[in-house]
Amino acid sequence: MPVTDKDMREELAAAEPARFWRSLEERARTPAFRRMLDAEFPEIAERYATATDRRTALKLLGASLLMAGMGTAKAAEGIAPYVEQPENLVPGEPQFYASTLNERGYGMGVIVEAHEGRPTKIEGNPNHPASLGGTDPIMQAAAFSLYEPTRSRTVLKGNEVATWGAFQAEVAELRERALLQGGAGIGVVIGPNTSLTLQRLFSQLQQAMPALRFYLSDPLAGTPRPYAVLPHFDEAKIVVSLGADFLGEGPGRLAAARGFADSRRVRAGGQRTMSRLYCLESIASLTGAKADSHLLVRPSAMDETVARLATAMQSGTGDDAFTTALVRDARAAGNGLLFIAGERESAFVHATAQRLNQPSAGITHTLIAPVATAPADSGSLYDLVTDIGVGAITSLFVLDCDLMHSAPADLDVGAALEHVSSLYHHGLHVDETARKADWHVPATHDLESWGDLRAFDGTASIVQPLIAPLYQGRTIAELAAALTGDFVSSSLDLTRATWAQLDDAGWREALKRGVIADTAAPAITAPPLAEIANPVQEAAQIDVVLTPDPFLDGGTHAANLFLTELPRPLTKLVWGNAAELAPATAQTLGVATGDLIEIGIDKQVLALPAFISPGQAPDTVVVPLGFGRWTGEDSDTVGTNAFPLRRRGNAWLLAGARVKKGQGSGRIITTQEHHAMEGRDIVRDVPLAAIADEGPSAQEPPSLYPPYEMPEEAWGMSIDLTACIGCNACVAACQAENNSPVVGPDEMAVGHDMHWLRVDRYYAGDPEAPETVFQPVPCMQCEDAPCEVVCPVNATVHTHDGLNAQVYNRCVGTRYCSQNCPYKVRRFNFFQYQDFDEGSPLSLLMNPNVSVRERGVMEKCTYCVQRISAARIQSEISDQPIADGAVQTACQQACPTRAITFGNIKDKQSAVAREKTEPHSYALLEELGTRPRTTYLARVTNRPDEDKGNG
Amino acid sequence: MAEAMRSDGIDPAVLAGNESNRAIAAEIAAIPLAPKLPRRFWWGFAAFFTIGLLFLGCVSYLLAAGIGTIGLNVPAAWGFLIVNTVWWIGIGHAGTLISAVLLLMRQNWRNSINRFAEAMTLMAVALAGTFPILHLGRPQYFYWLLPLPVTHMPWPNWRSPLVWDFFAIATYIIVSLLFWFMGLVPDLAILRDRAKSRGKQRIYGFFALGWRGSAYHWHRYRIAYYLLAALATPLVVSVHSVISLDFTSAIIPGYHSTIFPPYFVAGALYSGFAMVITIAVPLRHFFGLEDFITLKHLDNAGKVMLASGAVVAYGYLCESFFAWYSGDQFERYMMWNRMFGDYAWTFWFMLACNVGTLQLLWFKRARTSPWLLFALAFIINTGMWVERYVIVVTSLTRDFLPSSWQNVLPTWVDFGILFGSLGLFFAMMFLFVRLLPLMTIFEVQELKHELKEAQ
Amino acid sequence: MGRIGPYSKGNAVAQVFSSRANQIVYFVLYGALVLIILSPTIWIVLDRSFYHTGQFYALEQPAPFSHAHHVGEVGLDCRYCHQGVETTASAGLPATEVCMTCHSQIFSDAPILAPVRKSLASGVPLVWNRVNSLPDFVFFNHAVHVNNGVGCVSCHGRVDEMPLTWQEMPLTMEWCLGCHRDPGPNLRPESAEFSMDWQPVGDRKKLASELMAHFHIDTRTMTDCYACHR
Repeated sequence: MPVTDKDMREELAAAEPARFWRSLEERARTPAFRRMLDAEFPEIAERYATATDRRTALKLLGASLLMAGMGTAKAAEGIAPYVEQPENLVPGEPQFYASTLNERGYGMGVIVEAHEGRPTKIEGNPNHPASLGGTDPIMQAAAFSLYEPTRSRTVLKGNEVATWGAFQAEVAELRERALLQGGAGIGVVIGPNTSLTLQRLFSQLQQAMPALRFYLSDPLAGTPRPYAVLPHFDEAKIVVSLGADFLGEGPGRLAAARGFADSRRVRAGGQRTMSRLYCLESIASLTGAKADSHLLVRPSAMDETVARLATAMQSGTGDDAFTTALVRDARAAGNGLLFIAGERESAFVHATAQRLNQPSAGITHTLIAPVATAPADSGSLYDLVTDIGVGAITSLFVLDCDLMHSAPADLDVGAALEHVSSLYHHGLHVDETARKADWHVPATHDLESWGDLRAFDGTASIVQPLIAPLYQGRTIAELAAALTGDFVSSSLDLTRATWAQLDDAGWREALKRGVIADTAAPAITAPPLAEIANPVQEAAQIDVVLTPDPFLDGGTHAANLFLTELPRPLTKLVWGNAAELAPATAQTLGVATGDLIEIGIDKQVLALPAFISPGQAPDTVVVPLGFGRWTGEDSDTVGTNAFPLRRRGNAWLLAGARVKKGQGSGRIITTQEHHAMEGRDIVRDVPLAAIADEGPSAQEPPSLYPPYEMPEEAWGMSIDLTACIGCNACVAACQAENNSPVVGPDEMAVGHDMHWLRVDRYYAGDPEAPETVFQPVPCMQCEDAPCEVVCPVNATVHTHDGLNAQVYNRCVGTRYCSQNCPYKVRRFNFFQYQDFDEGSPLSLLMNPNVSVRERGVMEKCTYCVQRISAARIQSEISDQPIADGAVQTACQQACPTRAITFGNIKDKQSAVAREKTEPHSYALLEELGTRPRTTYLARVTNRPDEDKGNG
Repeated sequence: MAEAMRSDGIDPAVLAGNESNRAIAAEIAAIPLAPKLPRRFWWGFAAFFTIGLLFLGCVSYLLAAGIGTIGLNVPAAWGFLIVNTVWWIGIGHAGTLISAVLLLMRQNWRNSINRFAEAMTLMAVALAGTFPILHLGRPQYFYWLLPLPVTHMPWPNWRSPLVWDFFAIATYIIVSLLFWFMGLVPDLAILRDRAKSRGKQRIYGFFALGWRGSAYHWHRYRIAYYLLAALATPLVVSVHSVISLDFTSAIIPGYHSTIFPPYFVAGALYSGFAMVITIAVPLRHFFGLEDFITLKHLDNAGKVMLASGAVVAYGYLCESFFAWYSGDQFERYMMWNRMFGDYAWTFWFMLACNVGTLQLLWFKRARTSPWLLFALAFIINTGMWVERYVIVVTSLTRDFLPSSWQNVLPTWVDFGILFGSLGLFFAMMFLFVRLLPLMTIFEVQELKHELKEAQ
Repeated sequence: MGRIGPYSKGNAVAQVFSSRANQIVYFVLYGALVLIILSPTIWIVLDRSFYHTGQFYALEQPAPFSHAHHVGEVGLDCRYCHQGVETTASAGLPATEVCMTCHSQIFSDAPILAPVRKSLASGVPLVWNRVNSLPDFVFFNHAVHVNNGVGCVSCHGRVDEMPLTWQEMPLTMEWCLGCHRDPGPNLRPESAEFSMDWQPVGDRKKLASELMAHFHIDTRTMTDCYACHR
């Protein structure tokens, strides 16, 4: 069956999921199986301290098969068949299971690809409202964090290796004592989590121990609201973002991105209208980059500006171009109006947005009750420290959060934790908090655990494990259960119990589809508007504002080097954070990129390298959060931790912050050093009104070469620059699919990055309020490829279906092909980047269908040739032609906005062929006559100043 | 007879003094046959050989640690090593020109400088040949550029200039070696006969191939020597043209230029003669060979440099003109970037060395004052190396898509290999001087003879 | 132009070389010539030698499994043990339990089967030695070959005549490409895929072209590098 067929994937995902698991599970219980593992993989057995643990054993099975696959071919290479073949596991065939990933407590539905029981690749689950088939870089990196080598592996008592059993005993004893005083003295710190199972267990816990206290540690929490807004972009003619990055953050961003992009997908033959986006922002964001008109205001001026905008909406006259146009359009749009307030904007901004939204309620958006992420009466960290101070808390459970990293400066968590007589920590890493703890229990990765999560719209889905826990990991649910006195139930039992209303068929259905039917939250009517006075913020000379790093989720993924090395969408920064500021601001401060900037609050002073990033508001310094987290002995801390700049009530905009140029300079590593197009015709714009009725506008330039003949399929790709939001999901997906290595900061610094696909970001216009454009650049698979001519050893050649194939085992590494590539999409293994150490858990991450490249070899985007081959082989076997859409490239499949279309351009009916006939389709650098198979759809703009008459 | 001679363009000034044949032979053969040379000779050798060891060290490190240890990245995936190749091959050209072309043109004044010029060629080309291999990502597989009859069927892509290159350089090495050895045979015989120790007699004797200097020998010898010369002559033009095709046939602005073949050849001669002077001046000074390498030689060499240098300057002019005249935005930006971009200093430095200093050569005074000429030659060689750097590297750092623009910096390995190769080169020249006659004894005698008759 | 220069006249200098010296020179010169001509030939031969390809060499196996017995005498179908061969990339090795389906009944206590019984009892798989081994950068797919007229024998030889299994074919790239460029002569009808002793009847050329048409084989698609290297 073609593994790349989307439908097939769903179908496979639907294939009886639990059985493979169960069959292995059963086998694992037999002592025979455990003996086999000890005997078969002694070297592995001793590498993992706990190899005899039955769960580890299961993973070793996967490991062994992988190693059989990756071992070098020798005269006598050992091959071990199964003793008993597991049901529905066919060696060499991938399996697909639906599951759910946890992003800041919310569920993201995924379909996970596994090879011989090792998850290797994450895809979006089309059935899941938060994914709709799309993914983001964090989801793509999930498999990496599963095998990430610095993960915590064993239960620790102090620094001694202990066992889960011992921990249970400890908890049991604690429980005995606590029950007498109704749980007084016990505190539980949790991160945001929408799991209903957890909520069930927590309420049980509260019933058993009324005095037990919960504390919520959510360092990235926004402004609390009694409702959540679900936008309907298909209805909204005018979208206004009040500091909201709805494309770039929040649990609903993928759905929003899809909806937004669909509302702007203009085609000659089809949809001829597009929504218009007004964006009012102080921190450069993906949303701002897509805005048709946008206004930069410094954070401290946001409320005031919003207030003026609100009055202008009533009076009907604006005092600047932005507002005037907005007001005019708003009048015209009538009910098709949608205001979205930013997560972290003040309550005033939210109230204003809500009031302006009222007329179009139910049309451009619906309101739902916010999805609960913690027990109702959870205290804050401040409460925790106070309670510890007064001795109200003596035993503390810290479940899956790193207080030491995210604590604000005016809160001495360290000292507080010292006062707790017994501290229990649970997490993926032995981080600073764990080091303070008396007990540490390793957490399971989402791909190792049973559980459930709710999406942004309330839809619940099951977290299904693809592999048994690699180490002694436990889920939060299991810990909570232990506190309630349940020491036997596995996380599967606990989850199943929560969903008791589902019979076996219903349960199976839920696992198949990856969502539990009819669990979406019902719409509510808008709560009565509390009139909030416009709070006047005193403006410092320079505003310092914190913002979450797009990939690290406030430090949760700090150990995930895959994400650390992924270029940030706007700054293209890797391996660290910087103080980002607009060119003019840099001038006033007298700093250049790389110079240290000192940000001081009270006695706290933090020095970061400056990074000039056009698109930031004037007089504003933006500092990303999530860096500088220490995640265990053999891990390096990357970047600077900015949490210590925080104060009570000063979570984001840091009032009273002092900014000045510091001494010396810091390290800035970026994958793109030039930001202007130099007047070259690289990213093309076309005004909505200017789109012709039929294309193609661009005529192929004349060529001396004979026309390219297409005996069979002719693979081609079209990338819609209007739809692309520059999120980098495609880059991450490409890296995950094609075994691309992580090369480290020093290599990135000298330009040895290995991402086959890159998203170029250019600025145009006034550097103080620039227009930002994105352009994903994979290999163009030129028909007249310059690289092919110059390779002396025929290592890069053309295939019958138009691929520009790179033969790694033929390459001697002259790098001439890269020289001669006008798009510079080729990547070279300057060193041995690939980790051939089969002892490293990361070796389990490898996609067995893609060669692992060695030192001195050129590599590049192959249009995911392994997926093409799989489809071709199936068609050879079945003698059926490859259906349109049967082959999806990794980037295409990951794209949340479906900006990438791929297929057979010879078949004029194929989606890609139709895209290529659009009038605004063009080839990059087509004047070079390379005849790229990858083409672009020009960026359709809908600026207010464009509409003459219409609008 | 005398008229005939003058019509041959022989200027009496090419040889001073009036030794007999024996005396000439004695004087020249003295160096290789001397039981021991002055200490400073060995100090010189030791100094250069030590630097040469740097080459071996850096190369070993490069091979062990990987190509990433030298200054390369993805826009600029070619660096110092390619620059070195082009430069060294260029150096080589002077030798072939002097020995082959001037021989065919009966420019007898060449006779006293062709031997070491050939030796220089040989060593330069041998060095040049190593860089492209070291520059591979997987040097162990360099032989895949050959059509091999093996089961995994490597086959060269004949469209690739690198393949042409591979064969061009190989041919050049072989032909230069033959030509050089051919010229040595009669002298080896002289050494054999003058050698006192049996060991030397045997060694020189073996390579002398039993030369007895019979008329019969001479007859054969002439034919063969002239044939080889005829074979070698086209190489003077072809080799560096082929090298230049590596760049010309690429589409990168700054590479893709039709002026390259002639302009590379001229550049080659330019730097080649500069190197001849760099070697000749100290030689004649330390071994008191003023009688053989006369000011006339230096003067002529200076003239050749003036001519070839002028062509090079013209090449620069053309490049800039076409960049502007093409109207192609990429070409124009490339040239602008060379002049005012991040690497601008290399461009102006190049102009100063190759065009600026050149002007001094208009003056006979300059051409005939050895140490000034030596200094000029040194500066010009530096300039020529930088020229190749400007072409190879700076063009790459700014190509079509600004998003991939990136500068590249050399590492200590780059410098180690560059200077190490120079050290090795001069160390080998020392050995050559020690072991073999640094001038063609019999040709010098011949020349003397002719001059005598001319008077 | 006669003699210039003081070459030794007669015996002015004692003879440096004996009269045999010339032969040495000739030997060196001709030797070099011969070597230059010979070396490619040696290379060609060595590269194709059984030593290099590893053909016809029966590896030691944990249990002395005989295809000759199981296929030749008992007449088991290939697919009984190699279940994946028609549907997946790898033909698959039989799990121990597959062996024991029969051997729990027959030869149930034969000493040579001890390792197999031990494997089932202990749960430790038998670790066989790979006979037909390809480099890691070669992605071979059994299903596509078996479903398009390439029989087992074509690559694995007459296993029914192998007491211990050896590699029959060179498995070199040259050999693979030979067939990928002109598969016709190696094709057989579906019915004969798994037959050990099928022989073409009638005009081989005609049959070849018929089979090519029947399996819709287009050689253009089979010589792309990515057919085997990804």
